[in-house]
Amino acid sequence: MAMPLPRAELESLLRTRQLDRTLTTTLPTADETAVASTGIGPLDALLAGGLPRGHLSEIVGPRSSGRTSVTLQLLASAAARGELVALVDALDMLDVESAAAAGINLDRLLWVRGHVVTNPGMCRDMNQRALEQAIRALALILQAGNFGLVVFDAAEAPPDALRRLPFTTWLRLQRMVEGGHTTCVLVGPEPMARSSAGLTLKVGVRDWGSGIRFGHRLFEGLNIHTRVVRARARATEETTVALATAATNCA
Amino acid sequence: MPEFANPDSRTPNPQPRLPSPGLYAALYRPPRPDAPATALTLIASDFSPRYERHGGDLVSIDVSGLQRLLKVGQGLPARIIADELARDAAARNVVVHVAVAGTWTAAAVSALATPGVTVVPPGDEATALASVPIGLLEKIHDVCTQSPLNSQKKEDTTASAYSACSAFKRWGLKTLGDLAALPSADLVARLGPPSRVWQAIARGQDVRPLVPALAEERFDSTIELEWPIEGLEPLSFVLTRLIEPLSTRLERRDRGAAVLHVLLGLVNRECHARRLELPSPMRDVRTLRTLALLDLEAHPPAAAIDRVTIVIDPTPGRVLQHTLFTRAHPTPEQLSTLIARLGALMGQDRFGAPAVVDSYRPGAFAMARFATEWAGEAGKALQPFLPSAIRRCRHPVPARVTVVDDRPVRVTTDRRGFAGGAVVHCAGPWRSSGEWWEGEPGSSTSGRAGKAGKAGRSEDFPHPPYPPHQPHLSSWDRDEWDVSLNDGGVYRIFRDRERDAWFIDAIVD
Repeated sequence: MAMPLPRAELESLLRTRQLDRTLTTTLPTADETAVASTGIGPLDALLAGGLPRGHLSEIVGPRSSGRTSVTLQLLASAAARGELVALVDALDMLDVESAAAAGINLDRLLWVRGHVVTNPGMCRDMNQRALEQAIRALALILQAGNFGLVVFDAAEAPPDALRRLPFTTWLRLQRMVEGGHTTCVLVGPEPMARSSAGLTLKVGVRDWGSGIRFGHRLFEGLNIHTRVVRARARATEETTVALATAATNCA
Repeated sequence: MPEFANPDSRTPNPQPRLPSPGLYAALYRPPRPDAPATALTLIASDFSPRYERHGGDLVSIDVSGLQRLLKVGQGLPARIIADELARDAAARNVVVHVAVAGTWTAAAVSALATPGVTVVPPGDEATALASVPIGLLEKIHDVCTQSPLNSQKKEDTTASAYSACSAFKRWGLKTLGDLAALPSADLVARLGPPSRVWQAIARGQDVRPLVPALAEERFDSTIELEWPIEGLEPLSFVLTRLIEPLSTRLERRDRGAAVLHVLLGLVNRECHARRLELPSPMRDVRTLRTLALLDLEAHPPAAAIDRVTIVIDPTPGRVLQHTLFTRAHPTPEQLSTLIARLGALMGQDRFGAPAVVDSYRPGAFAMARFATEWAGEAGKALQPFLPSAIRRCRHPVPARVTVVDDRPVRVTTDRRGFAGGAVVHCAGPWRSSGEWWEGEPGSSTSGRAGKAGKAGRSEDFPHPPYPPHQPHLSSWDRDEWDVSLNDGGVYRIFRDRERDAWFIDAIVD
């Protein structure tokens, strides 16, 4: 007759989720330490190697905070490692020249462009439907598997539209990437995956006065900082890192 | 010629020699532009189902046992068969060299070297080939060594045959007989193991068996339904039933599906035909079924279905070698299914690989097909710095801009999500124009000097009363500014000089 497990042991198993995994799924045990380098040295140092694989991560921040610059660098880094990458561009705002300037191997980038109505007029929910459609496209890509990095870009989506998405959406997406080596990154104005998020990076302009660099006739770049506001899988001592973007083309 | 040791004591048997009892014929057609490419194949297939094509000009035929069919008794079957082949070719107006020998290599070499009809008595192959010029080795080497089942590394073997023939000529060898007479051990010591193969060819010995060509199999399957079906769910089961055996047959023949034809016979006597060109060869049942169903979802039949036919155009199978050092990519089947699903969800023009176009038009881009087959090659090198990116408003947002002393000082818009505000910093203007030469009325303003706005006074530019400028359809002429507003955002705005209106074009992020 099997002896009952002590309570502490059961709690330990539940904490490490081994019990749950054993009973409910047949997924292979993921390498919890696997990370995907961001391609930005200071950020990798902050994140102990990079963004965790098999988790939903978030990059959040207000407009002109450097979210897109960091995201394109993530895509470039993953493509440079020979991985296939995907960008679900919910509001169809990718600037292809910026992507090329970031060094992304564009052949390896699957770009899904959301259907956005420029002037929804009375049909205010048209773009909400576009957002939901983009979520479905994201789910299809995650289900296909073996993409190195999948980015869901809703950085310019209204926060209330993101909040209207069902909470189970993020749980389902987290379940899809769990156990695999895909890094899924959500880019938005504020945290959206809530308890499903593995790591949340908040980016912002370092100092509103000097954070936006203008020269005499040129915009020169942004001084930004990134801060880990949530890291379920790890704990880091340093939580903020300063970065600077440099304009490669000008108006 | 180099000095060789006594050949009698050290001559090993050639390694590549394979037992090939029987009788073989070879037909060689001297290259002629007006000759049909399939003529030799037709002659060969009339005599034996076991024949192998070597390019378009040479074919080897296994004619063993043919003497019984031709009722030639115990006479000279090889001569009679050779004459029959020559007669058949003449009847088809094809000029050929015919050779019959005990090995297919000897037959092929003889046909290449000697016009007319040549018969090599079995066992006398080496003697018969002794007078053939050594230069023929370059032509025959690939034929004798390259199996049609494995056509890789052909360039390597051709280069090595060329260099070996050069070496033989430098040694003073003039005929295959000279090469056959050399001691094998010393030849191998000088030119390496492949020299055994060359010597075997010179002696008329087969270095590999004849690999008969197989007729292309037709991969199709049909089912007649006693009760017509409507809807895709029941059709899914029918498709699985049809595709499964086809997939098994494809696997046996090392083939994949290049094109999938779905032919649906409808109750109104019409035929609903769909043709799916698959991005990569595949034979996975679930993938093929899913692709067919997704296509039928987009193009449904007009009536109930009472007959389903699946036809597959085969193509050689795909060999994938994964590497231990890079992460696995999605398989072509997974990517094909994903692309089909994305196409059904988003529309065919809403996804793909972005591509930069050779244009100065702001925001210009192209979409390319996303490849489904990937090797593990490394990507591009990263930039040593973090480039600033912009987010492009695919349709520029109309804006109200207040200009003071030729510089924007306030930007506002009615668009939800763009609060606007006072300009804190600005850089510009930078003039950009193009495609005015396309002849659009009122668009030939490029190159004019000047600045945006009107100097010395403030002016509000209202919303344009017409739809936003379509960025990909016409000429452009604009002055661009990068501005940071007190709402915290950095924007790229521009003044359309033709319409005298302002727009937000992009957000620096």
